Amino acid sequence: MNPIHDNDIDTLLRQSFNGPTTDVGFSDRVMQHVLPRRRRSLWPLAAGILVGTVLCSLSLYNSPLWHAAWHGLRVGEWSSSTIIMLSTMTGMSLLALVWTLAEADDH
Amino acid sequence: MAESAAEARIDQSLVARALLGDDRRAFEQLVRRHQGMVRAQLCRLLHGDEAAADDLAQETFLLAWRKLDQFRSDARFSTWLYRIAYSCFLQMCRTKSWAARNAQDDEMEHLPVPVHAMDLQLDLARAMRHLSVAEQAVLLHCIQLGLSHEEAAYVLAMPLGTVKTHAMRGKAKLKTWLSAWHEAAGEEQTS
Repeated sequence: MNPIHDNDIDTLLRQSFNGPTTDVGFSDRVMQHVLPRRRRSLWPLAAGILVGTVLCSLSLYNSPLWHAAWHGLRVGEWSSSTIIMLSTMTGMSLLALVWTLAEADDH
Repeated sequence: MAESAAEARIDQSLVARALLGDDRRAFEQLVRRHQGMVRAQLCRLLHGDEAAADDLAQETFLLAWRKLDQFRSDARFSTWLYRIAYSCFLQMCRTKSWAARNAQDDEMEHLPVPVHAMDLQLDLARAMRHLSVAEQAVLLHCIQLGLSHEEAAYVLAMPLGTVKTHAMRGKAKLKTWLSAWHEAAGEEQTS
C-alpha cells in the first residue's frame, strides 16, 4: 500500500464533490418571490438632519458658553469657550465619521 | 483564468443592468448562472439535506436581490453569493430546531469507525464528518468549490491565517485517518 499524500487528499475531495446542482425549476421558484425593489427615499434623512439642526440651535441659543464662543470666533480671539466649542464640533464630526465607516463596513 | 475574468465581467454587467433599470430578467440570469454552485455549497454544509439547502438557497438569492446595491466588484459575484449563503447557514445553525437535529447526527458521528471500510470515497465522506465544522467549511470552499484562501477567508469571515491553519489541519487529519484505514484494508487484502 502506498502512503496517502496531500495531493491525493485534494484529488479525492474534488472527486467526491458532485458539482453544481441541476436547476429543475429552482430559478423559476426564486423569481416568483423576487419583488420590485423599493427605491430608498431621501426625505427621512433630510428631515432628520433638519430637525436635529433646529433642536441643537434651540438648545444652544440661550447658552452663555455658545454666545462667548461665537463672539470669540467672530473677533478672531481663541478664548477657552471658542476652543471648547470647536473641539466639541470636531469630536462630534469624527464620531459621526467613525459611525458611518463602521456602518458601511457592516454592509 | 481568462475564462474566469470573462465570467466575472458578465456577472458585473448583469448586476449593473439589474440595478440600473430594476431589471428582474438580468437578475434571473444571475440566479440561473449561480444557483447550481450555491445549492451544492449549502447541500454540503447541511450534510446532504437537499430540502433545507434549497430553502436556504432561496433565502440567499432573495437577500442578494435586496442587497444588490451593496455588491462591490472587488469580489467575484459568486464569492459574494457564497458569503451570503454561508451567513444564512450560520443563522440557521443558531435556530433550535436545526441544532437539535444536528445533535442527533453528531451522536451517530461519534460511533466507532469500522476499520474494514474498503471504498476510499466512502471513507473520505465519513472522515470529513469527523472534522470540525470550521475545517469542513474551509476544505469545502478551498478545494471543492475552488476558491483561493483569500476568497475563502472573505466568504467564511475568518482571518486568512486561520483559513490556512484549518486547511492544513483538516488535510493532515484526513491523511492520518485515511492512511490508517488504507493500511487496514491492505492487510485484509493480503491475509
